[in-house]
Amino acid sequence: MRQSQRSRLAPSLSRRQVLRGAGGFALAIPFLSSLEPRGAKAQTAQNDRRFIAFGTHHGAVWGASMFPPNAVANQTANYAGHTVRRGTLPLDVSGGVASICPTLSGDATILTPALAAKLNVIRGLDVSFYIGHHTGGHLGNYARNDANGGDGGTVNQWPRPTIDQVMAWSPSFYSDLSTILMRSMVIGDGRLSYGWSSPQTQSGTIQEIASENSSMALFNNIFVPEEDPEEEKRPPIVDRVLEDYKRLRNSSQRLSSTDRQRLDDHLERLDELERKLKVQVSCGDIEPPLTDSTDEYGSSYSIDPEAQKRFFQLFNDVIVAAMVCGTSRVATINVGETFSSFVGDWHQDIAHQAGSADGAAQAVIAAAHQRFFEDVYLDLVAKLDAIEDGTGGTLLDKTLVQWTQESGSFTHDSISVPVITAGSAGGAITTGQYLDYRNMSRIANQDPASGETTHTGLCYNQYLANVLLAMGLTPDEFEEPGTGGYGVLHHSTETWYGGYDNYNAAVYANLSDWLPFLEA
Amino acid sequence: MSTPTRCLCALASMALTLTACVGRLGDSGAAGDDDDPVVTTSGDLQCDPSLVPEALPLRRLSKVQYQNTLHDLVRALLPANEAAVMAVLEPMFETYPDDQPSGPDDHFAAFRRLDQTLHQEHVDAAYAIGGALAAELTSPTNLTTVVGPCASDADAGNDDACLDDLIERVAPLALRRPITPEDVAFYREVAEAPPFEPADYADVVAQLFSAPHFFYMVEHGTDAAELPDVFRLSGYELASRLSYHFWQTMPDAELFAAAESGDLQTPEGYRAQVDRLYADPRTAESIRTFYEEWLHRFDLDELDSRVGTPVFDAFAGDFVPGPDLRERMFAELGDMGLHYSVTTAGTFEDLFTSPLSFAKTDDLAALYGVPVWSGGEPPAFPTDDRVGLLTRAALLATGSANTRPIMKGVFLRKAVLCEAIPPPPANAMANPPELSPDSTTREIVEQLTEQPDTACAGCHTTRINHLGYATENFDALGRHRTVQKLFDPETGAELGDKPVDTVSTPQIELGDMTESTGPADLSRLIFDSGLAHSCFVRVYFRYTFGRAEDVERDGCTLVPLREQLAEGSSLADVLKQIALLDNFQERAFLQ
Repeated sequence: MRQSQRSRLAPSLSRRQVLRGAGGFALAIPFLSSLEPRGAKAQTAQNDRRFIAFGTHHGAVWGASMFPPNAVANQTANYAGHTVRRGTLPLDVSGGVASICPTLSGDATILTPALAAKLNVIRGLDVSFYIGHHTGGHLGNYARNDANGGDGGTVNQWPRPTIDQVMAWSPSFYSDLSTILMRSMVIGDGRLSYGWSSPQTQSGTIQEIASENSSMALFNNIFVPEEDPEEEKRPPIVDRVLEDYKRLRNSSQRLSSTDRQRLDDHLERLDELERKLKVQVSCGDIEPPLTDSTDEYGSSYSIDPEAQKRFFQLFNDVIVAAMVCGTSRVATINVGETFSSFVGDWHQDIAHQAGSADGAAQAVIAAAHQRFFEDVYLDLVAKLDAIEDGTGGTLLDKTLVQWTQESGSFTHDSISVPVITAGSAGGAITTGQYLDYRNMSRIANQDPASGETTHTGLCYNQYLANVLLAMGLTPDEFEEPGTGGYGVLHHSTETWYGGYDNYNAAVYANLSDWLPFLEA
Repeated sequence: MSTPTRCLCALASMALTLTACVGRLGDSGAAGDDDDPVVTTSGDLQCDPSLVPEALPLRRLSKVQYQNTLHDLVRALLPANEAAVMAVLEPMFETYPDDQPSGPDDHFAAFRRLDQTLHQEHVDAAYAIGGALAAELTSPTNLTTVVGPCASDADAGNDDACLDDLIERVAPLALRRPITPEDVAFYREVAEAPPFEPADYADVVAQLFSAPHFFYMVEHGTDAAELPDVFRLSGYELASRLSYHFWQTMPDAELFAAAESGDLQTPEGYRAQVDRLYADPRTAESIRTFYEEWLHRFDLDELDSRVGTPVFDAFAGDFVPGPDLRERMFAELGDMGLHYSVTTAGTFEDLFTSPLSFAKTDDLAALYGVPVWSGGEPPAFPTDDRVGLLTRAALLATGSANTRPIMKGVFLRKAVLCEAIPPPPANAMANPPELSPDSTTREIVEQLTEQPDTACAGCHTTRINHLGYATENFDALGRHRTVQKLFDPETGAELGDKPVDTVSTPQIELGDMTESTGPADLSRLIFDSGLAHSCFVRVYFRYTFGRAEDVERDGCTLVPLREQLAEGSSLADVLKQIALLDNFQERAFLQ
């Protein structure tokens, strides 16, 4: 007979703040510091940074809408052989609307000067080859592209884990797993996050990480119900299940090498399950959400930006809850929704017409991106910033929330992909800046119809490496052998378009170094 | 000279009458000496018996298979209280991840991914469900029935025997194989020493529901087959393959008995079980799923998503699509497949020529202009233009007011002909033509993609558009038409109409300039090309083996099936036939 054990419960938490979200969700939030893993406060070296990444489809917002005016970036430096610029993010308020630029604007009571000072807007980061349609580029798996061109087809053969998965399995990032129920939360359209089939040993194949579209299901994964301290608990049997798999794995019975790999993968999963069964955490007084994001999937969902807003705000609430409870510290969200009521084929009728001289499609694109910024990105950032950490800071200060788009100013063209960040990642990066890394002497593309012009700048691989540095990883944990930075460095062989392989060698020289002006 | 092929030998040993594997590589005199393996062909497929097929590593149960298996186990262990136990489990199945189709181009396959996160979710959910089921089976209400009176009496002296008996009864079912004394010793270890409480029995049972032999189809093989690293499967392994393929659940008692007696490893005994399984009603759901997954269109929006917009409302007229119409259209494809594969002795040709409607609901029947089909002989379509799969609403509808000839063409090229379509060129967005409110959809598409000397024209003219033009006499809801109504894109005001043009040069095989006059002609051309035959067996291969086919290494499975289709065998015979081939009864263990 196996002996039951008395439940061990984390101490109850006092009510300090209440986060009220969509769908009946309410979270009584204590000061963040009281939620940190037990023992964490005694160990000052504990990493408590969080990473959240939004990736949106297409892009193609013209520079004048997406970025502050050039004059804002009034401080210069020479870097990688060209002049780069920075300036303090502007914030104009008019009619109750606060604007950094037309796309990055919203309700002035939410987008306050204090919050704007925690954002960065980065221009001049390039995927250095023609990647075309992709979802993998946002987080460093350039191989996940549609092979629209020769470059993309070549890079298809070099898959990499995405940076969220690198940090999710890094002991530098998760130095304490005692409260972690999900190493990463992968949400939305899928094909954004990729990892090893055996991430603990970084072996096997690179696989897509399945994504979740039910905020309720995600909530149930990150929420630990309050336990009855008097309840007798049966010891888990997962150790015996693990032994059963080892028994098969190590038996002399015939198995193929891939069978053994699958068993190795399964053993890792059981190991992770065993770890999670030991997690002890209290999330305070959470009233679980009453509605699910999937409730929004009505017939008109694809053309209803209000429904899309509610869908992602439900996830924002769950992400904040997970970050507060400490049950996860990584989230990625692939946003396929258009945030527009446009009826028709967005890809052909809007994205491919982004550069039309009449500006009609561009207006639809810019408005849709503004809605996403205000309804989803700003919503999450503001919620994170509303949670005090007890030392004068907020949860946002411990976090890096990024928004990247599939393309730069031109559809399918990843030159000067807009990168918006919020939070300082625990003080690792300087915020409140407009950073412009473009080399204004090197034109990438000039469209006579729209008048839009792009310039090559610095390498997106360097930004990805900077994110990992900001999250507490060291270059030896992630950098690409031979080239540094994160992600495959491919020199374009496309001849049809002048934007590619139009860089000084110095741009590629130090890809694991901090980008200018970014490090705190 | 006629050298018997490996696949012919295998088929002959099953007392079949196939004449598959016709032709030899080297008939022109290029072959090697007599000891070389004979390469045979059928259409565009080729069987090289010297190639070793890959095997999916440790295939896991799909969600449906997992649920069905647990249900069958509950039924076997606790028939009187089955419903109550399943009522507890049903909500927990929600936590078990849904399976997602994957495969070439993300479509037209039916095998399930197992990535790191999904795998973790499976492991977590299966552990929780196994524990909950074990607790239910050993609850005070069920303990005596499932474990025996020895579990609830006051005598601790019989607890050891009680536990061993439980393992010996449950483990062979859960693990789907005979168990050894080592197994009994291993699984009882968790309970430690008597006296045993109900929770101890529950722990033992829960272990079995999380065991590798429960979660996966574990195969070790027995005797070496002809090819290196390939081994024949054991009787129990064959029993599982058969039952999960045809029934999506564990073997029944008769199949286990055939495995135990050795009957399953005789050609006659094996064939008898294949026939029995296929005739069982449980096979119908598998076949329906195969057709629905094969022909599913992920690009098809909800059909009521544009209701309320001026253009769509003007286009739809009196017909208002409801939220279930799209699924009903897909269901018709499954019903059609089922009708010709199970209910009747239909053939592959029927799938391309059938003039019958399988619409089971008012809305779909109204679109077709036929009575609702409620079993028996299906009603015939009122127009000769609507024949076969290609003219079913599910393959025509778009969810908007406009047809999409390009997407129809891409779908047929990929799903029905199994051809890869290269992605659009890098500068596909350059120079878009001005669209006109007085042009038909075909005219607009021609202007957009078929301008001479453009990069687009290469693929669109020869491989894509003309397949779609052939069914332009059906509108975006799948209704028959002879003219296309033109609408003001803003107000929805009707501006007039223009005749539709269904004449095209589909180039089923690249360079074949045979003209098609419309959907019936296109269906005939596709069928006559034989390419759809190859595609069908390739997709069925994916459904059966849970992985994408390697047309070279798996050729000896594909060729006989294709040949059988080409000869006009019934679909039922072809769908059964895959289980009779070597690849189904063997497995490679590559190192």
